[in-house]
Amino acid sequence: MVEFDETLDCQGLSCPMPIIKLAKAMKKLPSGKVLELVGTDPGSKEDVPKWCSKTGNELLETTEGDGLYKYYIRKK
Amino acid sequence: MSEDNMDQKEKQEVPDEKLPDKKVEKTEIPEPKEASKPETKPKSKPKAKPKPEPVAEEPGIFDGLYDTLFGKSWAMWIGCVILSVLSIGLFLISSPWGSSGGLLSWGQNIFDMIGMDLSESAPNGVTSLLDNRYGMLSVTMLIGALGAALMAKEFAIRIPPMGELGKGLAGGILMGIGAILGMGCTVGGFYSGWPALSGGALIFVLGLFIGTFIAVKYLLWEMEAMPKLSSGKSSILLAAKTKGTSLQPLAGAIVLVIGAALMYLYDGATEQVLIGFVLIGLMIGFVLQRSRFCVVRTLRETFLTGDSEPTQHLIVGLLVGLFGFTIIKIMGIGSEMSMVSGSFWMPAIVGGAIFGLGMTIAGGCTVGATWRAGEGHVKLWAALAGLVFTLPIAAEYIQPAFMDALPDSMKQQIFLPDTLGYGGSICLMLLILLLWYLFARWNEETGRFTAI
Repeated sequence: MVEFDETLDCQGLSCPMPIIKLAKAMKKLPSGKVLELVGTDPGSKEDVPKWCSKTGNELLETTEGDGLYKYYIRKK
Repeated sequence: MSEDNMDQKEKQEVPDEKLPDKKVEKTEIPEPKEASKPETKPKSKPKAKPKPEPVAEEPGIFDGLYDTLFGKSWAMWIGCVILSVLSIGLFLISSPWGSSGGLLSWGQNIFDMIGMDLSESAPNGVTSLLDNRYGMLSVTMLIGALGAALMAKEFAIRIPPMGELGKGLAGGILMGIGAILGMGCTVGGFYSGWPALSGGALIFVLGLFIGTFIAVKYLLWEMEAMPKLSSGKSSILLAAKTKGTSLQPLAGAIVLVIGAALMYLYDGATEQVLIGFVLIGLMIGFVLQRSRFCVVRTLRETFLTGDSEPTQHLIVGLLVGLFGFTIIKIMGIGSEMSMVSGSFWMPAIVGGAIFGLGMTIAGGCTVGATWRAGEGHVKLWAALAGLVFTLPIAAEYIQPAFMDALPDSMKQQIFLPDTLGYGGSICLMLLILLLWYLFARWNEETGRFTAI
């Protein structure tokens, strides 16, 4: 169970919009806070973890169910 | 204002939250999901849902095979290698993989049906879709991608906010114009064009880079200036339930069988080429979806995150194609001028730039739009519609005037071995691929061209 501070709704969006939105949202998030990203694009399963490792933000958890992909990311 | 999308702290209620024991009765049909619509319960507190347990799988040969094929997406390089092999197969029976020609055929058939004059772009009349190799290739690519997405339980109708639909359509229209002016798309003008040793294809990719660069700048600007465009009402329908039995894999198998059965439309004795295109198209669509093959991503990441992996994967595929195509051309099995268009250099640079702009805004090139349409992304349905609508119009009304305006020196058909020989051409291609690889790695390390 991951506590989070903000939610970013990326439902219905396809590549690359979730990543662009994520980058923008993370810029505003204070350090140490956790963002939840909710998306529907299967492509995010690869893109989000990759973006996190590239930018040094910590991907705490990923869940997948009923067509929704959720990512919990702690701001570096 | 990103506050629009940031203020939804409320947790949506997902059906299985009520079922802590994670048991859900068997779902009969993948039903429209009300739960996934962005209707948030204003009263509920932010709390994260526990991670769903992995679905219990009974071990067995078929489960193992299923997991290998559908458990997760394939590495893109695997897809690239198979796609190149399939393209070589198409070349052996006729001519290599292409995509915009097929969608042009769809559009011409539609416009012909409603009585539009196509005498400029189809002087001998429009070939019916059923008799058009590339038209049928695009049909079965879409079917193959749909089948693969269903089998992997990744199919869902994903309806984006209205602004995104508009971007899909606009991107499709731009791609339609770019593909006609540049005489090819990312497949015919690049993924097949490079291995075919076409000079125009080399220039076309330069154009793609220019267009992609501009489009990435636009997307970043849009995110600041018009965040509403990509936020707002969205929904997802028919997604596979995670627990219980989903009918998607069964539906996928049926879709694939129907796709393969299209071969019976043709006479096995005289129409083997069409049968080959129907079957290989189905396989291409399947591989596209499973490997999430994406030229847009390859070029776009240069300016976005700097990720060089897609570039490396694409290069592997190009090397396989280069090897196969060259043998076919040298041995005289296929035409030397196959996939070598007269686009060097002005049509290629102009068409490439417009196409690159369109594909990046749409989030998929012609094949990218095709397989994502099969996966259920409605934005890419809009892109596909834009393409099908624009290609015939651009071919009929824009291309003739554009070509007339260009002096011959700007619209040459350059087959590299004519000037460099096969040895020299291969060396040039290998050098270009090496430089591209080095550039991508350098850009990844230094972030010289990246934005986020």
